[in-house]
Amino acid sequence: MVRAFGIRLRGVDVLDLKLVRDLWAMLPQVATIALLIASGISVLVMSGSNYLALLQAMDDHYRNERFADAFASLKRAPLTLAERLRGIDGIGVVEPRISHRVRVIRADSEQSIAGRVLSIPARGQPQLNRLKLVSGRWIDPLHRDEVIINAAYAQARHVRPGDAIDVVLNGRMQAFRVAGIALSPEFVFATRSALPLPDDRNFVVLWAGREAVESAFDMTGAFNDAAMTLAPGARMEDVLGQVDDLLRPYGGIGAYGRAEQASHRFLEDELDEQRTMSVIMPAVFFGIAAFLLNVVLGRLVQAQREQIASLRALGYPTLPIAVHYFKLVTVIALLGGVAGLVLGWWFASVVIESYRPFFRFPVLEARMEPWIMIVAVAASVMVANVAAAGAVYRISRLPPAEALHPHAPGGPAALLRVGRHVGTLMPLRHLMGLRSIFGRPVRTALTIVGISLAVPLVLFGLFWFDAIAHMLDVSFNRIERGDGIVAFAAPVPRRALHELEAVPGVLFAEGQRSVAVRLVAGNRSYRTGLLGIAADAELRVQRDSDLNAIAVPASGVMMSRPLAERLGLAIGDEVRIEVMEGKRPVLLLPVERLSDDILGFTVTMEIGALNRAMREGPVVNSAALKIDAAREADVWRAIRRMPMVEASSSKAQWLGLFNDTIAGMLVVGAVILVGFGLTIAVGVVYNSARVALQERAWELASLRILGFTRGEAAGLLLGELAFCVAVAIPLGLALGHWLITLILSVRIGESFQIPAVISPPSYAWAALAVIFAALASALIVRRRVDALDLVAVLKTRD
Amino acid sequence: MQVAGKQAPNGDDSVGEGDPVFVARGLSKVYGSGEARVVALADIDLDIHAGEFLVLLGPSGSGKSTLLNILGGLDAPTSGSARWRDHELTGAGDAELTLYRREHVGFVFQFYNLIPSLTVRENVELVAQIADDPMSADDALGLVELTHRLDHFPAQLSGGEQQRVAVARAIVKRPDILLCDEPTGALDADTGRMVLAAIDKVNRDLGTTTVVITHNSAIAGMAHRVLRLSGGHIAGEDRNATRLPPGEIAW
Ligand SMILES: Nc1ncnc2c1ncn2[C@@H]1O[C@H](COP(=O)(O)OP(=O)(O)O)[C@@H](O)[C@H]1O
Ligand SMILES: [Mg+2]
Repeated sequence: MVRAFGIRLRGVDVLDLKLVRDLWAMLPQVATIALLIASGISVLVMSGSNYLALLQAMDDHYRNERFADAFASLKRAPLTLAERLRGIDGIGVVEPRISHRVRVIRADSEQSIAGRVLSIPARGQPQLNRLKLVSGRWIDPLHRDEVIINAAYAQARHVRPGDAIDVVLNGRMQAFRVAGIALSPEFVFATRSALPLPDDRNFVVLWAGREAVESAFDMTGAFNDAAMTLAPGARMEDVLGQVDDLLRPYGGIGAYGRAEQASHRFLEDELDEQRTMSVIMPAVFFGIAAFLLNVVLGRLVQAQREQIASLRALGYPTLPIAVHYFKLVTVIALLGGVAGLVLGWWFASVVIESYRPFFRFPVLEARMEPWIMIVAVAASVMVANVAAAGAVYRISRLPPAEALHPHAPGGPAALLRVGRHVGTLMPLRHLMGLRSIFGRPVRTALTIVGISLAVPLVLFGLFWFDAIAHMLDVSFNRIERGDGIVAFAAPVPRRALHELEAVPGVLFAEGQRSVAVRLVAGNRSYRTGLLGIAADAELRVQRDSDLNAIAVPASGVMMSRPLAERLGLAIGDEVRIEVMEGKRPVLLLPVERLSDDILGFTVTMEIGALNRAMREGPVVNSAALKIDAAREADVWRAIRRMPMVEASSSKAQWLGLFNDTIAGMLVVGAVILVGFGLTIAVGVVYNSARVALQERAWELASLRILGFTRGEAAGLLLGELAFCVAVAIPLGLALGHWLITLILSVRIGESFQIPAVISPPSYAWAALAVIFAALASALIVRRRVDALDLVAVLKTRD
Repeated sequence: MQVAGKQAPNGDDSVGEGDPVFVARGLSKVYGSGEARVVALADIDLDIHAGEFLVLLGPSGSGKSTLLNILGGLDAPTSGSARWRDHELTGAGDAELTLYRREHVGFVFQFYNLIPSLTVRENVELVAQIADDPMSADDALGLVELTHRLDHFPAQLSGGEQQRVAVARAIVKRPDILLCDEPTGALDADTGRMVLAAIDKVNRDLGTTTVVITHNSAIAGMAHRVLRLSGGHIAGEDRNATRLPPGEIAW
């Protein structure tokens, strides 16, 4: 007992020395394995900390600025009604206000800029939805022409406190002065359209003193919008029901909770997606890393089997030897874990920057929680040790004599007969390669799978560019076929379109009727716009997933598939449509067709049917335009001056916006993923080659002694690797396609229905990237083959 | 090209005359420096003649392998010069030395150095494939009296059989020079004699210049000439009047 203990104690010391030497000797291998681990950890840290950052930023902003729980719009009610709202059981604070759509005119903008004005108390913050001033000051009660504007617009248009701003209120132009610039929890994500892109240059929020807004809209002593908080424990549905009952006589169009508030809804979708991604992506990465570690560490330990056998033959107990290898991988895992933390932290700070144009928070900082660090490092140590355990176990079971047995050819005898009779037809060193490949099919398969795993990551990085290009093509070439959209301040008769067509450069104007609606199906509801278009509309064409045109049905509605899924509707089901404009009819219509839009959720119906349902004549309130490209700027300038036009947007402008906001995000993501892919490719190829070299140095040196050139000797090793890479790439491309489809099927954001479209060049680049990584590894190995010490090899038995 | 190896089978008398094929002058090999400095070879002068059977004898560490490796183009001396016919071996680059080994040298080592994933015949064929004018693998194996188990892998053969495969592999290209480093070092007496017989036969029948390292002085009886090495120096040289047939070697 005591003696055994003594051996063990002394043994541990010697083995620790071996540990340091081994680590040092295998430095490149250690580095590549640690990088693999670091990749997985960094994704975990990045998604985890970004998710927490968004969540924290949202919570803080909502709490500090007292974001309302519920909202209601109505036509007009006296302020005394607010008191009755407060009396509702379950309601906490009520903030009545006036809210109206406005237009802003700027000399330097071809289009008119859509805006929303909201009333605020002239003497200080409202009770709810307070403003976080980022510059300037609160409006002066004595100056009715002062406004506070949203920071996003101010930044996009370089507006500073003190600047003038011309606003068309209720059809009358009025000059205001910007007193302050602010952030609001209501407009964290602000856009005037249903598109998931912030359009900061063309959408402005103005907060003006109550008196100014009252007089402009003839709302003295009245309100048309209310923000409310719920008392603790109150049930949202009950409260909303009571609010609806109270407001109905005043033109209330349905109270709603945060879940249907535009900015919050987008934010929630993004958070959902982040939550899913912060589980899926690290899981994918860790899966890949664990597998690769298993392959690489397994080979690393396997390569030392003779050393282990000698130690055991000398009487070393198995346990300290096993512990030695666990220590080895733990050191590697810790190196990788720490590198992953640093890398992940850095990625997180880069990626958080790409959120800033989308989400306007007072504070948005990447967050590093101690528990993320602990989970990350623990995960890496665990994954590495589990990966090493198999190899250590196999070694410990090996009888020492067997492990010491020199170079018995591995693999089943049958496979060793590979090519027995072709020996004279092909150079025998190629046959050696074939036997090595097929004589150890499991190892070859593991190497191939390992290399192939690099491909999906590269592909996933590049795929986004394809997906976005496809989305743009479908949305802006196939669905929106016009060059821009004009929105009217109020519904106009169809013949008003002639006025648009009379503008020089406008080739064709196609009328549309869109109304704000609330879709209700069972207990699910969704607020969106219902678009009426002609059955033979040319400038707006809905598509199915194969991009075939589908006309709007003569009766019933056409709905985008994801919206139908969100509402739990299938073709033939009835949807309750609560129109929130005009006479506010409630329609019960069947879902007749499903369309596959990519951007946003749409519901469409035949324009005549919509007009009838609205109990109105043949009116339109927006128009798609086909414009002579050469005169586009003039066209927009002319249209902006037309009194009936409220807002306009051009396709070119949208595309520019898309590129500005999305491109940066894509490049960051692509660079990270491609980097990981290359890391994996180098890690696997390099490690495979190094272990193969270690195992076959003797054989290669023998060939060199027999008169084979350096190239021929290296070719034996590199040929095998080339074979593995050649098989791995198509496998990896298929795997990549499958993984991307899988990951996209899990994403359930409203923002984008990202299509699993991968272009041939992306496949080619992914393959090339891995080939490049393989070549780099091959080069290093080739140099090692060149440096083989022939004489030293002769001194060892094998 | 490989004229020397294809001279008429040599009678003992004709060997050792005419111009030497190998000429080494002032060969030195020093490993390390300072405290760790080891002089493996010190100022060796050596001539080897065509068709000669030379034995290098000496205790372990006396520099035999170092000398053989330099002659075989595997190692470079620290100073001095070595030349084989018109091939200057000292100062030659890797490509040149590789070509020299490929075209002219056959090696046999103590531990056989067969390729484990190739069969007996394939191991021999491997070298034949890169030679200019090889004999057939089966002929080479016939010369070492291996005619069966040709489709076995090395691990399935005894040590003596493996070493005879190694000899066959060394001679299949009809080398001009056969270099053997303790070819019987890992073998027992009987199998050792069989291997020596094969080497002797190659030297006699093909006229291949042969250098054999051993520390078994009995083997020296087979040679035309015996060089004794000690501490990196040539300590003595003997010429055998008659060569002992391998079968009569006392182990
Ligand atoms: N790579 C080396 N580094 C240092 N010393 C070496 C090296 N190779 C051989 N030697 C030394 O050179 C001497 C001659 O070695 P070697 O030619 O192998 O002797 P032999 O073959 O006669 O046993 C020995 O003392 C040996 O220790
Ligand atoms: Mg030696």
